[in-house]
Amino acid sequence: MLDWRGVNLQLGGRTVLCELNLQLRPGERVGLLGGSGAGKSCLLRLATGTLTAQHGSLSNGFRHAVLAFQEPRLLPWCRVAENLEIALRAAGREASVARCLAREWLARVGLGEFANAWPQQLSGGMAQRVALARALSVAPDLLLLDEPFSALDPALRGTLIELCRVWLKQSGAALLCVSHHPDELLPLVERFVLLQAGRLLAFDPAASAVHGLSCALPCG
Amino acid sequence: MISRERRPTSRRWALLGAALILLGWQLLALRLGPLLMATPWQTVQAMAGLPFEADFRLHAGVSLLRIALGVGLGCALGFGLGLLAGLDERLRGLLEPLRWLLMATPPVVVVVLAMLWFGLGSAMVIFISVLMLAPGMYVNTVKGMLMVDRDLLEMTRVYRFSPWQRLRHLYVPALAAPLGAALLIATCAGVRLVVMAEVLGAESGAGFALANARSTFDSAGLYAWTLLILLLVAGLEFALLQPLQRRMGRWQVAHA
Repeated sequence: MLDWRGVNLQLGGRTVLCELNLQLRPGERVGLLGGSGAGKSCLLRLATGTLTAQHGSLSNGFRHAVLAFQEPRLLPWCRVAENLEIALRAAGREASVARCLAREWLARVGLGEFANAWPQQLSGGMAQRVALARALSVAPDLLLLDEPFSALDPALRGTLIELCRVWLKQSGAALLCVSHHPDELLPLVERFVLLQAGRLLAFDPAASAVHGLSCALPCG
Repeated sequence: MISRERRPTSRRWALLGAALILLGWQLLALRLGPLLMATPWQTVQAMAGLPFEADFRLHAGVSLLRIALGVGLGCALGFGLGLLAGLDERLRGLLEPLRWLLMATPPVVVVVLAMLWFGLGSAMVIFISVLMLAPGMYVNTVKGMLMVDRDLLEMTRVYRFSPWQRLRHLYVPALAAPLGAALLIATCAGVRLVVMAEVLGAESGAGFALANARSTFDSAGLYAWTLLILLLVAGLEFALLQPLQRRMGRWQVAHA
């Protein structure tokens, strides 16, 4: 499990996280809320290990934490399927297995026919779907999502949230998902936490409270 | 309205340019006489006869080997050090004075020193090529490394790319444009450097044959070897480097 106590993170002389405590058990699904610049993305980066905290106890028992970024971050010189294959190879899959899994996941996000396209030939929403497929395909035991549905139209957003929900149920992976729209996370998460002034506050997962919070959160 | 469309170089005008050079060459050769300058036709005839000369294979083979080793080792050294220096600013600082020293030293000074250290022969020629070509490759690699997209770099860390995967799928493609240009410059400069070093201090190779032709007033032979060297540079550029650059940049073409 993930167990952080008294975590302090400073970036460029600014305190981003202050005496932060967070516990995440295997299979637990948590929605992370907070205003723009609250440090939500930094918190996810801490979980992946690409950022290092200055103080605090950070214990991470998860085998593989994968972050689906706010932007797709696909390798522009690799074809769409290759982007998935490379990530799968990095996760230790055999080349032939990686090739099959890449095609399978592209089909699952409705982009099977774009396997040989270049990322620049995709729309923003399509690229975001590829990025999501890449994150799920490597089978992490901790999935970190940084507003992955923001570039999608409502119908597609619902489809992909359902895809994530089913995958999380089947895989038993834990989830920490950032969003400005708590209501869209309701099918995915069990509880919400709010990041405010560098600290995490617990929230009642009742839909009414969440809707109230949605209005209070600054968008961006 | 001004068209901003990028047009390819006109082949018709390039052919006209080549024809004008040939015409100028012919007129100058007629004016200077066969002792100082062979005509284009005499040069072509001499070049056609070169393969039948006794030492042609030896000279051509030795030069090709020196070019391959000099350019290959020089580029590999520059690229390798550039990669490491791109990742570590302390190493970058450490190598900066050496980079400046090598880029500012005139090649002829290096030739003289290398002749003193290694004597005449292949070691001297290859040493000069490596020392003169590596800094250009190094500078282009470091600049490219510093411009690699930080977001993509972070993505490779999150997905746990191995160093080899990071090199293959991130750094090399991201560096394709500066490296392609650096490789082209290094190859052309490498041929020139090898021939120059051979002229000044070698006992075999195309440069040695050139020096021989000059000392025996074999004007046609001199120009034939020169033309052969030009054809080699053209062959390397059109058959090897340009297709490589096209392959590395195909994703940009797809986007255009």
